[in-house]
Amino acid sequence: MKVPPYPLIELDLSAPLDRHRATVLPEWIDWNGHMNVGFYVVAFDKATDTLCEQFGCSFDYTRSEIGMTFVLEAHVTYDQEVKEGDPLRITTQILDHDAKRLHYIHAMYHATEGYLAATNELMLMNIDHASRRSAPWPDFALERIEKMAAAHARLPRPKQAGRLIGIRHK
Amino acid sequence: MLDSLPYELPELVLRAPLDVHHSTVLPEWVDWNGHMNLAFYVTAFDQASGAFMRNVGLGRRYVDGKLGMTFVLETHVTYDREMKGGAPMRFTTQLLDRDAKKVHLYHEMFHAEQGYLAATNEVIVMNIDYASRRSAPWPAPVAERLEVLWQAHKELPRPNNAGRVMSLKKK
Repeated sequence: MKVPPYPLIELDLSAPLDRHRATVLPEWIDWNGHMNVGFYVVAFDKATDTLCEQFGCSFDYTRSEIGMTFVLEAHVTYDQEVKEGDPLRITTQILDHDAKRLHYIHAMYHATEGYLAATNELMLMNIDHASRRSAPWPDFALERIEKMAAAHARLPRPKQAGRLIGIRHK
Repeated sequence: MLDSLPYELPELVLRAPLDVHHSTVLPEWVDWNGHMNLAFYVTAFDQASGAFMRNVGLGRRYVDGKLGMTFVLETHVTYDREMKGGAPMRFTTQLLDRDAKKVHLYHEMFHAEQGYLAATNEVIVMNIDYASRRSAPWPAPVAERLEVLWQAHKELPRPNNAGRVMSLKKK
């Protein structure tokens, strides 16, 4: 598909993408008095929507019954606590892509104190709406993904990308 | 380190992997794609971690008694198959490693009726001192239970989905 049946937003080629802002909601807090592990991923998933809007594969894409994006794999590092009402800033770096998939990492910062709260590395796959199976990115999306990937290619690779989980024994 | 806990510990379940946790996909966990959103797999797995922690003696009373907490440091999920609203889930949990303050767990989530593997989750959980909110060694009775569990779990084969590094290059 060359052109989607809805308008695309102006492409933001800043690297990393730095558009997503949010606030820690009261219902995201658990009995430890901080944002619960699952809701970090809720917050990050909304930053994925912000990323996908860049190449026209967000809500309009699904509502128009063209396609969907499914996450295949996710890795989160929980670096520092955030509390109810804290303002969040989430940046996104594209690490790699192919005809059907996109590999990227989000970094969540406390928006006013500046510290890194968490990172989320993800593998996203394009899905055909009718078959619910993997499919190549539509032309309009791939063209934009390639432009963003080229802009992000000069960024250093974050140390949280490609991590292997384990306990290091001294 | 706490030498004891001021409540009775539950009977220790030694089955390896641990298979005590069941739950259901809640309607509010379903997203615009009509399936359980990725974040709520993490929530569901976190509840399975809670079942593991209760088995070693660290349930709600540990937090409510202001003794300590457990924090997740890192988590890795593979999404293997979709789950719809209302789907029944069954979890298994394998202890992959442990030290004085942390455990490395591996969960598998299955559709409880259809039997298929829906997702896997590898997670590092750390013990936290309540007052300082900093890492601390496991309470003594918990450390003891972890060693007993380790003897039961260490002979299990290492799961294929454990120790994954994300990349487009594989497969």
